[in-house]
Amino acid sequence: MSMTAESTIRENNAITSAQLLFRDMLLEGGITALLVAQHLPMKNTVMPTLITDPDELRAVDPFAPCYSMNTAKVVSKLTRKSLESPIAVVLRPCEIRAFVELVKLKQGCMDNLLVVGTECLGAYGNRDYPIFAGSEPMAATLRFYEKAQGGTTATVNGLEMAPACKACEHPVPENADLVIGVIGADMNGPASVTAKTEKGKALLEKIGREQSAQSSGREAALAKLMEERIAYRDKMFAETVEATSDLEKLMSYLGNCINCYNCRVACPVCYCRECVFTTDVFDHDPAQYLRWAKKKGVLKMPTDTVFYHITRMAHMSLACVGCGQCSNACPNGIHVMELFRTVADETQREFGYEAGRSISEDPPLSTFKENEFPEVTARTH
Amino acid sequence: MNGGIGSVLVIGGGISGIRSALDLAERGCKVALIEREPSLGGILRQLDNQFPSDHCGMCKMLPLVERDAGSQYCLRKGFFHENIEIMLSTELAALEGDPGKFIATLRHKPTMVDAERCVGCGECVRVCPVEAPDAYNAGLSKRKAIHLPTPHNTPNRYIVDAAACIRCGACEKTCPTGAIDLRLEARRAFRILVVDDELIVRDSTKEWLVDAGFRADAAESGMEAIERLSAETYNCMLLDVKMPGMDGVEVLKRAKEMHPDMPVVMMTAYATVETAVEAMKIGAFDYLMKPFDPDAMVRMVEQIYTSFERSGESKLNVSAVIVSAGFEPCTPTEEMGAYGYGAMPDVMTGIEFERWIGGAGPNAGRLIRPSDGGEVRKIAWIQCVGSRNLRFDADYCSSVCCMYSIKEAALAKELSGGKVDAAIFYMDMRTFGKGFQGYRDKVEQTDGVRFIRSRVHSVELDGERNAPRMFYTDAEGALHEEVFDMVVLATGQKPPRGASALAEAVGVELNPSGFCKTVDFSLSRTTREGVFVAGSFSGLRDISESVIQAGSASLGASLLVHSKGGGIAEAGKEAPGRRDISREPPSLAIALCRCSGSAGEEARLTAIAQAVEKGGWADHVFRVERLCEPDGWRLLAEQIKAGKNNRVLVGACLPYAYSGKIAELAATAELPANLAAAVDIRGAGGCEDGEDGSGIAAAAIAALAMGGAKLRNADPSPHPPTEIIQKALVVGGGVAGMSAALAIADHGYETALVERTGELGGNLRHIHHTIDGLRPKELMEGLIARVESHPNIKLFMNARVAHSGGRVGAFMTSVEKGDGSGETVEHGATVVATGGQEAKTRSYCYGESDAILTQREFENRLQSGAITPGSLESVVMIQCVDSRETGRNYCSRICCASALKNALLLKEANPNIDVYVLYRDIMAYGALEAHYTRARKAGVLFVQYSLDSKPEVSASDGRPSVVVHDPILGRTLALRPDLLVLSVGVVPDEHGGAARAFGVETDENGFYQEAEYKWRPVDSLNGGVFLCGMGHSPRSIGESIATAEAAAQRALGVIGKKHISSGMGVSEVRQTFCSLCERCVIACPYGARWIDEEEERIVVDELACQGCGACTAACPNSAAVLRGAGDHGMLSMIDAALDAVY
Repeated sequence: MSMTAESTIRENNAITSAQLLFRDMLLEGGITALLVAQHLPMKNTVMPTLITDPDELRAVDPFAPCYSMNTAKVVSKLTRKSLESPIAVVLRPCEIRAFVELVKLKQGCMDNLLVVGTECLGAYGNRDYPIFAGSEPMAATLRFYEKAQGGTTATVNGLEMAPACKACEHPVPENADLVIGVIGADMNGPASVTAKTEKGKALLEKIGREQSAQSSGREAALAKLMEERIAYRDKMFAETVEATSDLEKLMSYLGNCINCYNCRVACPVCYCRECVFTTDVFDHDPAQYLRWAKKKGVLKMPTDTVFYHITRMAHMSLACVGCGQCSNACPNGIHVMELFRTVADETQREFGYEAGRSISEDPPLSTFKENEFPEVTARTH
Repeated sequence: MNGGIGSVLVIGGGISGIRSALDLAERGCKVALIEREPSLGGILRQLDNQFPSDHCGMCKMLPLVERDAGSQYCLRKGFFHENIEIMLSTELAALEGDPGKFIATLRHKPTMVDAERCVGCGECVRVCPVEAPDAYNAGLSKRKAIHLPTPHNTPNRYIVDAAACIRCGACEKTCPTGAIDLRLEARRAFRILVVDDELIVRDSTKEWLVDAGFRADAAESGMEAIERLSAETYNCMLLDVKMPGMDGVEVLKRAKEMHPDMPVVMMTAYATVETAVEAMKIGAFDYLMKPFDPDAMVRMVEQIYTSFERSGESKLNVSAVIVSAGFEPCTPTEEMGAYGYGAMPDVMTGIEFERWIGGAGPNAGRLIRPSDGGEVRKIAWIQCVGSRNLRFDADYCSSVCCMYSIKEAALAKELSGGKVDAAIFYMDMRTFGKGFQGYRDKVEQTDGVRFIRSRVHSVELDGERNAPRMFYTDAEGALHEEVFDMVVLATGQKPPRGASALAEAVGVELNPSGFCKTVDFSLSRTTREGVFVAGSFSGLRDISESVIQAGSASLGASLLVHSKGGGIAEAGKEAPGRRDISREPPSLAIALCRCSGSAGEEARLTAIAQAVEKGGWADHVFRVERLCEPDGWRLLAEQIKAGKNNRVLVGACLPYAYSGKIAELAATAELPANLAAAVDIRGAGGCEDGEDGSGIAAAAIAALAMGGAKLRNADPSPHPPTEIIQKALVVGGGVAGMSAALAIADHGYETALVERTGELGGNLRHIHHTIDGLRPKELMEGLIARVESHPNIKLFMNARVAHSGGRVGAFMTSVEKGDGSGETVEHGATVVATGGQEAKTRSYCYGESDAILTQREFENRLQSGAITPGSLESVVMIQCVDSRETGRNYCSRICCASALKNALLLKEANPNIDVYVLYRDIMAYGALEAHYTRARKAGVLFVQYSLDSKPEVSASDGRPSVVVHDPILGRTLALRPDLLVLSVGVVPDEHGGAARAFGVETDENGFYQEAEYKWRPVDSLNGGVFLCGMGHSPRSIGESIATAEAAAQRALGVIGKKHISSGMGVSEVRQTFCSLCERCVIACPYGARWIDEEEERIVVDELACQGCGACTAACPNSAAVLRGAGDHGMLSMIDAALDAVY
């Protein structure tokens, strides 16, 4: 049986070797189902799919530089209750980190779940990816890595990857059982697989695989990557702080928000069943709009936009993993990711917390420390 | 208040009085709480920070269920409860009758300000020309003659300091509500006769009295005086002793015949003082020595006038009385060693230091040097000033000073960012209470406070540095001196001012130290049946112990009420009739209170009413007259009842003051209580508009708009109360468990008592007599007999608690019985009393020789005759074995008393025995100090050792050999005692994990973790589960019983009613929005929320929920909501406020 989906793909490149790995996992690894991204037929995009048939792996491409959605949301749906049989999920680092936050919020469960993390060099925005991928998306994936190994600023076909990815300092998955390595690797050879946990090791043993050696150039490539990304990130923080330094500027920054709430739908850690902004709380009495308008003479519509974003920041900035799905989802091109990451950077630093870092690290608002923030909890003195 | 059966009088509004009153009120008992001062709170008014949190937390004492019956704000600011009538400036004059039907005579002191009318605007202060030392700040700052007795009270009413007031009348004229009446007329009607043959004395005295507002006449001879007295009526006479013709004593005798009640003050020269003293024996009120200070003379007359003026007496019928008269902080005097107090401003007392650094103190919370305002670099605390002092007649330890000094040192460190050098000079550091040792260690090791065992000789002014220089000898006897910026004297507790008069009025006896005497093993029963004592008035307690004892006292009172048929438990109150308004749209009436009726006020009220109408915030706006007066409320209630509105908002002043009345108003209008509210439309600026009244009007409009928005959104639907299983379960059949079970069963409730062993009595079996000579065996036999025969007690012997489920008010507990069978017990409250036991040791060669034994083994053998004192030559006792060090870092509190008891026993039986007590700190707290003194007098030798030079023990030849360094002698002692007795301390008894079955957590030492050390000392963090006895903390028999009674009282608070409701502000879950993230569960500090795994929903325990709102803050999409404070309501309030202001 052919392991390749397209003739241009050589045998045993990174994608096909990953497909082989997944096949073994389903056949011999005791894995009932595999959640992994694949190219959709008839449509030039990549979406997560839940696969139980080992023969349905032809279009699977865990490396495609496309992030239609943050798959953590899907994993949460699968694992809201303990899984009865083992499932493997193949995720990018930002997806694993979002899932870690969801688990802490009781929206998912790690039982019987095997997390396969892929190292990530970034992705294109949803509007750019189809242009980039063209008619041979798998070949495009491999081409992307050739260029992207060169660094963040690399442009392919004149397209730049998403800002969230350019500012991402987490190209290496954390909290994964198995990691598939691509950093500094030749994508035209088999991808490296490393077990990070006992669970991962057991699985590799079960399917009779050795841990593969990482490429020699990995360390240097990673260091260069990190340097570039952190520089990009810090510049982004500074620019965003400047662009939102007072209420006037913030209102202008968010000026074309239309309350579509796409950002919160796309956000992997916005876990509310129904957002408070879509409940009756914000069903204002029609006369209220006129009262507001009369007060000020002019009322920008729709109302409650800045209120909405500030509320969302208050609710989830401590869980924000910076995946950038919010910006990806915004129909009006608001730089939502930049704003949320900038705020999250500060709030998470204040609490010494990093979203997605560890399952055992309690979310700051669920822990009580008596002597925290003395400047806020001011004593009588 | 009508009083009568089911009512209790509580004397003293300090922490224990408040606790007792709340305990009884929560049970439905009517309470009259009287306080002689003009504000509640006692000493706690002045303490901003308390051990162990160094914060306050008094509010944690407020009721946890039926919360709407009382106030729910800062308890330190004051409180109200529908069952408590608070009478300030009131004293008890007499108590007649018998238990169950006492008649109390109360005396109300006029304050010259009508509390009902005073709105606290402060206009009077602006015009008052007199400044006087502010007692609230321990005299360290000034305030006006008309002043607020406590700055933070809410509502806060002014009072006049009659002694300082010059009666200029300025405040009377300026008061916008006419609340002040200086009673100048009454004063002018008080007639005084001055009798002296010397013109200059006669005239100037008369003049001074007239200046002070009195009416005075003068007589130049005894004859003239008698003539005047027979012709006219005088209220008081100042009488010279030595006069030609008829002398003062003769005049006094005749005057007393004519007017026996008229007070006479003798004026005497130094030479005739003895005559004056004699005169007092035949009825003179007091004497003044010439030449006298005019102020002192006026003060004395003022005192006579005040008691004369106290015509305001009232009678009250009550079933029981609780005396919680508190204590008086001791003022350092020369006799006790003042250490420069009074002479140097940098030397102050502990309480003064609290105020000195207090946020509302003279320096607004800064730490500066009193003498020059300079930086404070070094502070010394001197312990035991006025305590442990035989010369001063204080053969007791004040029990609190060690801990408050440590706390003050920690506060000083914190205030100075750790820069201040703080040193505590002490004899014994008495860290005997729960958590004390750990606190001391933290302050010593982390904060770096120095602890110096020493005797301070003196403190003198260092002229060069202009600072106190301290001279002291250390533990080795070496003399040192050191200069400090400040010296704080850890002054102790004295019996309260007027203790003997109070004792006489109440009819109780005092102990030799002047505190209230308690009987038998009880800490709260006095020598008069039906009269109970709580708090420091029974001698020397900290807050936690006072609160525990207050529970014990209220239990005593409650039992008496119950036994006399008061039936407080079942009485309850009739639920008021309610209109069904669930289908009516909100309709709001706003009532604006008219105060002075001035033109400015009218204009403002009109403007406010128009704005409210224009804004469409109310359906009906009207004015009412002076709600501060009873008529005002009556008329308002009638109008509301007649109207059709279903929500009422009152715009007045002091909304807090009306909280109680608002509930009544709602009841009158047959509305749920949450549909009526009051807001402040006066603002802090006073009744009249200021220069720019518009600001006040705008704030008032905003307040009304917000209040209205809140009421419109209030949910009128009733919430059914929770049904309670009116039974209790007690675990542990020792003294605490039996006492608790009896206390509950005596109130008529079924009580299950589960004991693990085959016999009741616990540790009482091992104690033969107490240090006070009481017989625990008799106590035990009495308790067992009552428990075994009590119709309401079901005993489970040889049984254990296998499992317990449920919540407060409805527990289901399976008890595994001795025969292996099980039984399920349903109960509404649980008391856990699993006790403690003597710790096991392997230290000091224990087990290697028969001559080395524990204190308990020693006592048993001494009592059984196995050890005869006559045959002993030498006994060594080692204290703190394995205690107060890593592993078991706490003081077991009872071992020093046991050692003293047994040492004294040995010495009494055979004075020739050498008894050595090797100790680290003798924990002879409170009255135990006298026994320590007694032991030293009896020749018991006390040798102090420290952790780094512990005694060395060997037992190579079967006889113990002890080597210890004696710091005083400066050499090593090698002892070969007949017996070595080890004080090994107390460890909690696991009791098969019974406490855990009820979700009781334990502290790092295995004792129960109480909800809050000071304020909720016998509550567990689990609602409906209460803690007592040695499992709580090591304690004496009496102290254990007190915890048991306090715990029983708390349990009765739960099971005493068939139904309990929580409060209006209870959190709820909007299940359709809930994502089950459980953040609310984690956030809830009361354990009131949990996830029901089967139903997949979050559940709220209404009785445990305190409405704090932590869950609503944790929930991102308002699936957790607080009843009455939903998003819609809150947002409309914000909108309303903004609409009104902008």
